[in-house]
Amino acid sequence: MQRNLIIAMLLLLLTAVARAAAADGLYLACHAGVSLASADVRDVFLGEKQFQNTVRLVPVDNVAIQTAFLERVLKMNDIKYAVTWAKKSFRDGISPPPAMANDAAVLDFIKRTPGGCGYLGADPPPDVNVVGRY
Amino acid sequence: MKRRLRLAAASLYAFGALGFACNATASDKRDDRITSLEEKLDRSLKLIEQLGARVRDLEAERAGAETAAQASQPTPAQQTQSPPTPVQAAQSAAAQSAAALAEQQRLDSVEQQVAQLAAANADRGGRGAGVPLHGFADVGIGNHSANEPDLKGANLGALDIFLNPQLGEHTRSLFELTFEVDEHGDVQSDLERAQLGYQFSDAATVWIGRFHTPFGYYNTAFHHGQEIATSLRRPRFLQFEDQGGVMPNHTVGAWLTGTDRLSDGRLTYDAFIGNGQAISSGVLEPRSGGVEHGAAIYGGNLGYVFGNILNGLKVGVSAFRSNISDDQPIGGITLDRITRVDNAGVYFVYDTDSVEYLGEYYRFNDRDLTDGGASHRSSAGFLQLAWRLVHVTPYARFERAVLDQSDEYFSLQNAGTSYYRAALGLRFDLDEKSALKLELARTKNTDKAVAQWTDALLNYAIRF
Repeated sequence: MQRNLIIAMLLLLLTAVARAAAADGLYLACHAGVSLASADVRDVFLGEKQFQNTVRLVPVDNVAIQTAFLERVLKMNDIKYAVTWAKKSFRDGISPPPAMANDAAVLDFIKRTPGGCGYLGADPPPDVNVVGRY
Repeated sequence: MKRRLRLAAASLYAFGALGFACNATASDKRDDRITSLEEKLDRSLKLIEQLGARVRDLEAERAGAETAAQASQPTPAQQTQSPPTPVQAAQSAAAQSAAALAEQQRLDSVEQQVAQLAAANADRGGRGAGVPLHGFADVGIGNHSANEPDLKGANLGALDIFLNPQLGEHTRSLFELTFEVDEHGDVQSDLERAQLGYQFSDAATVWIGRFHTPFGYYNTAFHHGQEIATSLRRPRFLQFEDQGGVMPNHTVGAWLTGTDRLSDGRLTYDAFIGNGQAISSGVLEPRSGGVEHGAAIYGGNLGYVFGNILNGLKVGVSAFRSNISDDQPIGGITLDRITRVDNAGVYFVYDTDSVEYLGEYYRFNDRDLTDGGASHRSSAGFLQLAWRLVHVTPYARFERAVLDQSDEYFSLQNAGTSYYRAALGLRFDLDEKSALKLELARTKNTDKAVAQWTDALLNYAIRF
């Protein structure tokens, strides 16, 4: 019984460590052929940059790792992000990025949307353009 | 079997943890080494998940088998009957496998539905799924009304309906329809903003219609929905025309706006031209239906948004000139008189996760074109400091307006009085889309109708 308990605790501890390790990966990927400068990423996700040459950019949020993305890349918390978009939307008449549930949904959106850009927790496949790793 | 699996899982976890530990300690080594370790860790995690699922399956099967065995144990009456045959046991196991398969299919179906909902949500947020309706509303209570110091008690603020249909890659639109209650309790409706635009690029969007005149920062950053603003009410001289403001907050015309990235920040600009406003019955009127004599307002705004260390800071300058007519009767005769209003301003905003600092200052240099009289100088400005805590945002604001009463632009406006106001307030964010605001303010009119009063106000504002 005691050994089972120790094993269970060890598993929980290692699971937490493994999850933390898994959350370390953060990639920004765009539709094939769309490239972004690192300085533009923040502007894209805050609606300040909407075009890359003639292509309209369509950023999407990944709910599963949004908090990590906001902290590491946009340098803001989720409350500030929501307020910023509320102001932006009602001032300029543009909509915030649609929210996707996970990597698979983001990847699917990026692949089928010209100008689509989103962030992933896992290494993106080769058929999308990786524009940043954080 | 179960113990072996647990030990195997623990070993694999340990292997994964070792991989992670190696990864962490060798973070400064070559990337391919890190990538290799991450791949090993991923493979290990997948294997662990598979083993865990297998353990759960085995436990479920065993529990099911025990239940089945208990159920199939013969009762005393049944003991005379024959024991279950191997065929019956096999049938029972097959039934359990079928049930497990059905459960797995059900889970797969749910997962697929979630993915479809996510995709549908993406489409709705993007384009092609109708026009989302947004809006704002607020109500208030106080010893004075927020905008009408002669009234007190409870009051309705505004119901602000907001639409921004997404029409295409370059075509943009924005409509703001507001219902407000005036000082007589009558509901007034206003098409506060009605803009159709074409976005050529990030650097150039042309809007045509009725828009917020792009002077300073506050007038274009905040609109009729009060929830979005930190404070309970706008600075008094920046109030909308029909609520006691003295600035031409709305323009009907054309507006070119854009932004461009520089090395360490962004440059923003606005240029606009539109119908010159008129003063009608003591209130500025944007002349949404057109003007008779071609009087016009035109101006621009130039701002710089800092990056990196000063991220959140924007500074800028703005200016406009407007030929503003009035219908004030003189000697029983109503004459169209024109005042040329020249306004120049500077502003800053520092908006971060933790603070919001705003400041604006404007100078007027107005001239009566009808009489060719002397110029009149006036000024107005405010400074607002707010600190964002977890659920509450305290703020302080000081406003001052010194308006020349020999300038018809101010003397003919009901609200064109010099004043100062000091305010302290608290904003409580009840949830993501509603806020309760409290404000205590001291206001003093220093000319025209000299008066002073203290406001204690409560406002409940939402957006949807």
